[in-house]
Amino acid sequence: MNQAKKFLLPLAVLAVAIGLVACGGSDNNDEETVAGTFEALPGAPSDYAKVSGDAELSRSDGGTTAEIEVSGLVPNTAYVAHLHTGGCDQPDAGGPHFQFEKGGSEEPPNEIHFEFEADAKGEGSAKATSDQEVPVGEAGSIVLHLADDHGTAMAASHAEFASLFVHEGEHHEEGDDHGDDGAGHDAGDDHGEDEHSHSDKIACAELEGGGGTAAVPTIIVRNGEPVGGIKQLEYSAGEQIRFKVSSDEKEEIHVHGYDLMQDVPADGTVEFDFPADIEGIFEAELEGQGVQILELTVNP
Amino acid sequence: MSWLPFAHALVARQDLPVPAWLFAWGASIVLIVSFFALAAAWRTPRFERERWRPLGAGLSRVLLSLPTQVVCGAIGVFLLGVAIYSGLRGTEAPDRNFALTFLFVTCWLGFPFFSAIFGDLFRPFNPWRAVGRVAGSGFRLIAGQRSAHLTYPEKLGRWPAAIGLIAVVWLEVVYGASGGVAVGLDPHACAVAALVYTGYTLAMMALFGTEEWCERGEVFSVYFGMFSQLGFLGVEDGRLGRRMPLSAATRWATLPGSAAVVIASIATTSFDGAQEGAFKDAIETVFEWLSETGMDLTTALRLTDTIFITLCFAGVGLVYLLGVRGMRTVRGAPSFAKLRTGFAHTLIPIALAYLVAHYFSLFVFQEQAQFTYLLSDPLGTATTDLFGTASGGIDFTILSANAIWYVQVGALVVGHVLGLTLAHDRALAYWPDYRDASRSQYWMLAVMVAFTCFGLYLLSVSNG
Repeated sequence: MNQAKKFLLPLAVLAVAIGLVACGGSDNNDEETVAGTFEALPGAPSDYAKVSGDAELSRSDGGTTAEIEVSGLVPNTAYVAHLHTGGCDQPDAGGPHFQFEKGGSEEPPNEIHFEFEADAKGEGSAKATSDQEVPVGEAGSIVLHLADDHGTAMAASHAEFASLFVHEGEHHEEGDDHGDDGAGHDAGDDHGEDEHSHSDKIACAELEGGGGTAAVPTIIVRNGEPVGGIKQLEYSAGEQIRFKVSSDEKEEIHVHGYDLMQDVPADGTVEFDFPADIEGIFEAELEGQGVQILELTVNP
Repeated sequence: MSWLPFAHALVARQDLPVPAWLFAWGASIVLIVSFFALAAAWRTPRFERERWRPLGAGLSRVLLSLPTQVVCGAIGVFLLGVAIYSGLRGTEAPDRNFALTFLFVTCWLGFPFFSAIFGDLFRPFNPWRAVGRVAGSGFRLIAGQRSAHLTYPEKLGRWPAAIGLIAVVWLEVVYGASGGVAVGLDPHACAVAALVYTGYTLAMMALFGTEEWCERGEVFSVYFGMFSQLGFLGVEDGRLGRRMPLSAATRWATLPGSAAVVIASIATTSFDGAQEGAFKDAIETVFEWLSETGMDLTTALRLTDTIFITLCFAGVGLVYLLGVRGMRTVRGAPSFAKLRTGFAHTLIPIALAYLVAHYFSLFVFQEQAQFTYLLSDPLGTATTDLFGTASGGIDFTILSANAIWYVQVGALVVGHVLGLTLAHDRALAYWPDYRDASRSQYWMLAVMVAFTCFGLYLLSVSNG
C-alpha cells in the first residue's frame, strides 16, 4: 500500500467530520423569540372591543427586534405601544415600562416604543429595534395606547416626539367604570406612568415565556401531586429564578442543589426568588412526601 | 419564611446534557483520531512487556512490610465497620449518612479513578482479604497445617465477579424503588447488603482460599484491580516498581469471564446514564405494560430496570463479540476464544472513560460532603461534630457546566485513543504480518467508535 493511498481514507473521514461539525454548529442558534396576541383590556373604550393582533420579540446576540401587528383599531388614528415588564392581568396592565437602565431615560433607546398610524381599515403595524438585548424574563407584555394622551404627556419632556402626534384629536371616551380597582393603581404610582389614565390602555399582548412580574410560573399542587405533571423551568446562569408553589395541603418545598426550603401552608402559596448561580439540572420536591414537582434547568 | 440549607438525594445537581456542537466535535475528533491511528501506526508490539523497574528497596520494604499490611487491613476493616454501623444506626436521609457516600462514591468511584493512575490501591485496604488472611493465619497457628481449600472451578473464572458487579450497580440504582418511583437506596438496606456480602465473601474465601477468591470472585478486588492494570505502579516479587502505564492490562484478561467484567462495567454505567435519558420512554412503556398486568408498582419498576440492565449487558457484549467475530475473518487469525479473551483488556480504558464521563461531577460534589459533614457526623444526627467540619457543605459552583462537558467528552476521547492503542498493540502480537494486524483492527475500530459515540450520545440526551 503506498503512502498516498494510505492517507486517502483518513482525509475522506476528515472531510465527513468537518461536515458533521458544521452541521452541529448550525444547530447552535442563539436567537430566541417570544410572542403573544393582543387582547382588548377590560377598561378599554368600547370602540376597541374587537381589537386583535400579534406581538413578537426576538433576542439575538446583542440585539432585540420587536414587531407588532394590530387590527380592529379606529381607522387613520395614531397609536403607540410600549414594552412592559409585567403581565397583562395585573390591575395596571403590564406594570412599569421595560427599561434597559432602570430608572433611566423614559425614551428610546432606553425603552422599547412603537409608533404607528392605523390605516383606513383600522390596521397597523410597527417595528422597534434595539442594539441591546432585553434580558430574559423582563419582556412581560406589549401594551397599546392611543397616541394623543401619551403625546401630550410626553410633550413637556420631549418636543419632537410630541410633534408627531400634534394633529390628533379625541377618539375615545374616558372610561370611569373601573374606579374600584384604585388600590391596584397605588402600587404602580412610583414609576412615572401615572400621567396615563388607565383607560388610555387599549390592548395588551402577553409575551409567552417573557415571564414578567405577573407571569411568575406557578406550580399547583393538589393531593400531593403537581397538576399537569412535573413543571419544567429553564433559565440561563445569572438570571433570577422566580416561581410560586400553591398547595392544598401544608408541605415543605425543597429546591435541591440550591438547598432552599420553604413551608407552604394549606391552601397557601409560597414564592421562590433567587439568582440562577449554579448550572445544572435540579429537582424541587414536596419534602414530606418525596414527590418531585419541578425540574429546574440552569444553562450556562 | 424559613430558608434552611438542606440536602436530600445524593445527586442534588445533575449534569446538563452535552450540547449538540460539542457532541459533533467529540464524535468528529474520535473518527479522525481513529483513522489516522490506523494509517500511521507502529509495527511491533510495545505494551506487551511491562518494562517493570523496581523503586528504591527501602520504600518497598516499608510499604510492603507486614506491619504496614496489618495497619492498612485494619483501616479497611474499621472503615467498612463505620459504614455498616452508620447505615444501620444512622439517619435514613441518604445524603446525611456516611454509608452511602462512602461505599458508592468514595470507594466505588474513587478506587477506579485513582487505581487507574497509581495501580492497585484497594488490595492493601481490602477488608475481606485482611480478615481472610488473619483467619488463615489463625487456622495455621491452631491446626498446625495449611487450610485445605476446594479447587476453584477454572471455567467459572471471573464470572462471579462480573455478576457481582452487576448486582452492586443493581442494588444502587434499581433496588431503591418505592411505589413505582425510583427513590434511591436507603442507608439501612445498604448496610444490610454490605453485611450479606461480607458473609458471602468470607464463606467463599474459606472455601476457595483468600487470594484465589480475590483474584476471581471478589467483586471489588476484581473490579478495582481491573482498572489498576492501567496504572504505573505495580508490585512484582515482593517489590514495588514502576511500569509502563497500560502495559499490565495486557496480562489481565487471561481468566475466563474477564471480558464479562469489563462488559458489565460498560453496560451498567450505560444503563445508569440512559435510564433518565435515552431509555426513559422505553422504560416507561415496559413499566406501564408490567403494571397493567396487575404487578405491584415497586416490583414492576424493579423488574423493568432489571430487564434493561440485562439488555445493556447483552447489547454491549454483542457489539464486542461481533467485533471479535469480524477479526476472526482476517487471514492468520487466532481462534475465536483466544480473540475474545485477548482483546477484553482493550475495553478497560473505555469502561474508565464511561465512569469518568458519568460520575466525575458526582464524585467532585459528593467528596466535599465526605470530607466535611459526613466525616464529622457520620450518622447524620446533627449533634455530633468529630472534626469540627459538620457545618461544611457542598459548593456546587466549583464546576461550571462547561467544565463538566469538557471533562466528559475529553474522557471519552482519551479512553477511545487508549483503547485503540491497546487493541492495535495486541493485534500486532497476534498476527505475524503487521498488515493483517492492521486489517483486523478495522473491526475493533468499529467496536470502539460504536462505544465512544454511544457514550457521547448518552451524555447528549441524559439527565446525568
